[in-house]
Amino acid sequence: MADSELAQIELFAEIDELVDRLQRFVEMGSPWEPLSHCRAILRRLLGRVETLRIRLEAPLVVATFGGTGVGKSALVNALVGRECTRSGRERPTTTLPVLIAHPETNLDALGVPLEEFQLVRLDVPILRDIVIIDCPDPDTTEAEAVDTNLWRLHKLLPHCDVLLNVSTQQKYRSARVSDELRQAAEGCRLIFVQTHADRDSDIREDWRRQLSENYAVPDVFFVDSPRAMLDQLAGRRPSGDFARLQDLLTSRIAASQRVQVRRANLLDLIHSAIGHCRQHVTDHLPAIEKLEAALETQRQRLHDAMTARLRDELIASQGLWERRLLTSVTEHWGTSPFSSMLRVYSGLGSLIASATLWRARSSVQMALIGVVQGTRWLSAKHQEREAESNLQRVASSLGLDDNLLRESQLVLNGFLRDAKLTTVSSGSKTVQELRQEAARVEGQFLGDASQRIDGMVDDVAKRRSGLLIRLWYETLLMSLVVFVLYRIVRSFFWDSLSDPDKILPTHFYVNAGVILGIWATILVMLFTRRLRRGLQRQVETLATELARQRLEQGLFPGWEEACRDIHEQCRTLIQLGETATQVRDRLAIPSSFGAPR
Amino acid sequence: MTSPYTACAELVRQLHLAIRQLESHAMAMQTSPLKGREWFELLTRKLVPQLSDDAFLVVGVVGGTNIGKSVIFNHLAGCRASATSAFASGTKHPVCLVPPGFEQKHDLASIFCGFDLHAWSEANAALEDHREHRLFWRTNDSIPSNLLILDTPDIDGDVRVNWERADNIRRCADVLVAVLTQQKYNDAVVKQFFRKAAEEDKVVLVVFNQVLLPDDEPYWPVWLQTFCQETGINPEFVYVAPADRRAAEENRLPFYLRDWPLRESPNNLVEQHSLKTDLSALHFSTIKLRTLRGSLRTVLNERFGLPAYLAEVRSRSEEFRTASALLSTHELAESREWPPVPNPVVVQEVRNWWQAQREGWTKTVHNFYNALGRGMLKPFASLRDRLQGERVPPLEQYRQREWQTILDTVEKVYERLQWFSELGNPLLQPRIDRLLNGKSRVEMLELLKTRHDLTDLEFEVRSLIGAEMEAFRQESPQSFQLMKWIDHGAAAVRPVTSVCLFVTGFGPAGHAVQSVAANAAVQFAVDIASGTVTAVAGEKALSETAATGAGLFEAWFRRLHARFAAKRAAWLGRMLKDHLFGTLPDELQAAISIPQSEAFQRVQFTITQLQKEVTAADG
Repeated sequence: MADSELAQIELFAEIDELVDRLQRFVEMGSPWEPLSHCRAILRRLLGRVETLRIRLEAPLVVATFGGTGVGKSALVNALVGRECTRSGRERPTTTLPVLIAHPETNLDALGVPLEEFQLVRLDVPILRDIVIIDCPDPDTTEAEAVDTNLWRLHKLLPHCDVLLNVSTQQKYRSARVSDELRQAAEGCRLIFVQTHADRDSDIREDWRRQLSENYAVPDVFFVDSPRAMLDQLAGRRPSGDFARLQDLLTSRIAASQRVQVRRANLLDLIHSAIGHCRQHVTDHLPAIEKLEAALETQRQRLHDAMTARLRDELIASQGLWERRLLTSVTEHWGTSPFSSMLRVYSGLGSLIASATLWRARSSVQMALIGVVQGTRWLSAKHQEREAESNLQRVASSLGLDDNLLRESQLVLNGFLRDAKLTTVSSGSKTVQELRQEAARVEGQFLGDASQRIDGMVDDVAKRRSGLLIRLWYETLLMSLVVFVLYRIVRSFFWDSLSDPDKILPTHFYVNAGVILGIWATILVMLFTRRLRRGLQRQVETLATELARQRLEQGLFPGWEEACRDIHEQCRTLIQLGETATQVRDRLAIPSSFGAPR
Repeated sequence: MTSPYTACAELVRQLHLAIRQLESHAMAMQTSPLKGREWFELLTRKLVPQLSDDAFLVVGVVGGTNIGKSVIFNHLAGCRASATSAFASGTKHPVCLVPPGFEQKHDLASIFCGFDLHAWSEANAALEDHREHRLFWRTNDSIPSNLLILDTPDIDGDVRVNWERADNIRRCADVLVAVLTQQKYNDAVVKQFFRKAAEEDKVVLVVFNQVLLPDDEPYWPVWLQTFCQETGINPEFVYVAPADRRAAEENRLPFYLRDWPLRESPNNLVEQHSLKTDLSALHFSTIKLRTLRGSLRTVLNERFGLPAYLAEVRSRSEEFRTASALLSTHELAESREWPPVPNPVVVQEVRNWWQAQREGWTKTVHNFYNALGRGMLKPFASLRDRLQGERVPPLEQYRQREWQTILDTVEKVYERLQWFSELGNPLLQPRIDRLLNGKSRVEMLELLKTRHDLTDLEFEVRSLIGAEMEAFRQESPQSFQLMKWIDHGAAAVRPVTSVCLFVTGFGPAGHAVQSVAANAAVQFAVDIASGTVTAVAGEKALSETAATGAGLFEAWFRRLHARFAAKRAAWLGRMLKDHLFGTLPDELQAAISIPQSEAFQRVQFTITQLQKEVTAADG
């Protein structure tokens, strides 16, 4: 197998894969209306692609296209060298389209509605590889209705592979014909022919200029059909442009080129359909972006509300802070006299707190109490109250009250409408569902927040109980203890022997105990005050840090997901378009054909 | 000479003015603009400039691209006045031949209104591209003193602005030289163009160009027959010109006159005719009358003229009325329970009011004891604040609850608007969709929220209570009992106040307000468009309980609550009217009233006058 042939096969495989990918894209679903619209377009396209694939090997269908009176029929007659379609001076002449084919051509493979043609079988060499259709004109019909020329033409065009675009000096700039051509040319190869060479001036230069805005125009033929007809009837070979045209239609659209021409048409179709879809989607994408921005704004709003509330509550709950810090400090400190003092203090505090804990007003305080105790608290609460009212309580404790949630929903409904995400928006949430979503959002937020609080508490505790500080406090406490002990030891071992009167009386122990207690309390107080110092600033820092964080999911995760999905699908569409362009650019087609740009 | 239509001239002028005025009103209805409507263009371009003037004929050479219009024009001019080219769509601006001295007697600019007039300098000027419509004119000695001859751009090429220019020339022309060829006589756009000319009763000279003589001699009558049948044109003269490119280029193309309709034995003469001579021989004043009559008839045509436009305006206005009725017969929202203002606040305000009424030494004594009481309570209050957290003032709580109710209501309003939009009324839908989009919702909510937060509720309560207390003191002589009953009343009363929001301002909706269910609760219908409040069952509920002294006070309390709710609901109504609906009610109302407007009436009146004149002139 030759390399070029292999390359061709590879290219064809790529086209098949492209079609398969399109098929898969069409089968996906989307709640977004513009994408569904694109799917509908592509589904129709795939139908047409299928018929093209079926008749891949059938002879090419060459059809004439042009205004009334430009000599389409005369050209066809001259091409086959016989008078087989009525060409005349009366306008319009061709109403029933004529299909001219070789007697051996199997017309069933073409998929053309044969009953709508006047069928002519001719055994001439030019028809060996092609079928010629003489089409009705597009420009005498004022309003397209059943059985008008325009209607017939529109029915025929999808079956054509190559359009012979015929025009004259009078008609080449006719608006109607150029509009129709633009529609007809999609998925067709084009050949441009100026007729009436016997009477008219050569306007090919201007025509080519006009055409090249929308089409690739490799060649324009300037032919004199009656003369060519006479030549052939007299047994002479036609000359000039007509001969070149005949040659193009006989030799260059040989059987080997069929598949290539059809593939090229197919790719053109796919390319333009995807291009259209992309345009449609791009036009509507800003609405989705607006929706996303709105979702983001609402999410930020929730986040800000929660952060602000968290900060206020943290600053307000001084007592809880202190206990958390103390616990953490004693954990770091290990066993020592002063730390046992602290422990006693914090134990006492906890005892009181455990009573108040049941009345902990909010989940923020819970976060402050710490994960372990908080969970215990929550599970106790769970048993105590019904889950629903609990959710409500949790949700409103962080500043996400119903009003805030409903404002969000109200605004977002508007954006959903703008974005035409109709199927999603139909399920507007009830307040109950909103609360549940809010509780989820808060849980997510609090999880993060309490981790940070833990970290902060640890950090502060470590910093506020460094070795020096510990030594200092231990020394301060121990100096009194040592002094008392010294007095006791001295009294016991020394004074009892030397001077029994000097033995410490019982009330000394009471006094010592009291003084020791007061001393310890003062030290503990000093220490805790030290711990609390700068807490406000710490909390502010924590709040700003949290504010910079982004919630992973907002109140409406379903809608956020839908937006992401839409972007994903748009990317797929763009990729498909790019693949189509690449393959189209690589497919080598006979260069003598024109095509839409 | 005076034409029988001279009398119409003034009427037409008035009509033109009145229509312009009507159009400026009708903008609100989104009718398509008058410009581009055939009858309006005829009125502007043909009737207004030409009715009062003496008879001169405007001759336009018209036809498709590249079929030799300029060749025929040059034949008429006797020189190369218009450039010819092998390429199509060459002529982009009309060229006019003017008899000597004509422009001094007539105002060319008003005859060709809408065109920028330029003196002809060279043939190629008309081929240049310009955005504005230009018209090149040059004096030509050889044409009769009251004949204007124009070369026009094509009517079927891909440069659409050419069509517009050709249409404008057609409208002001009296005689059209229709250039046809076998390729183009049956084209859709060509047929459409000439059908309009036939409706306006233009005189048409057909030149069948590029005929292959003698081969086509039997065919051209068939083609022309088709053309005449399709367009309704009845040509005055028919010429045949051979396909002779050389002769055309050298400006010596022969024109052969042919009989039309064909006679039994056609005279296929080869004698050349001068189109100009034939044109000069035309009966000018008759033709002028004929085309003016044709244009007047088109303007006055019931089916596609000015009356049809008036009918369109009327039916449009009716559609607006339907849309408006649709809005007004449905209640926009309902709030079953408007939150009551907290009783402690009311009681406090009543006490404050009472205190302000005291005079002399009683005032001093009371002030002293009040101050003492506050001082003693202060530590307890601050302790309570510490223990239970800062207390939210009751009015702030009320504000929260009211905001919740407002949100409820706004939600319902949006739902209802969505429903209106889904009804698919073509006039309402785009407007309502504009209200429903996300951006306007954000703005609306933000505005409502800010305004709501800014509302001085305390002032509202105080001013209402001041007024009510004053009224109470005058109504009931035992007002000294007030202090006794006040706590009793506050404990007993918890009225349920319902509010319905109506959009009655869009049209009559009195019955809709009445249909609000009259149950025991106090009900209000707030008319959004005007912000007024109608109490439906409130006063009845009051009078029932007002028999005894304590009952009287209870009733008074109830009324106070109801009045307050009504006040707040009216506030909401006003906000929604001003900021949600904006100008929509005014727009609808303006559109509805157009058929009653002075401009409309005047147009209608002038039409009747004009119709009388035309009938009289036609005899």
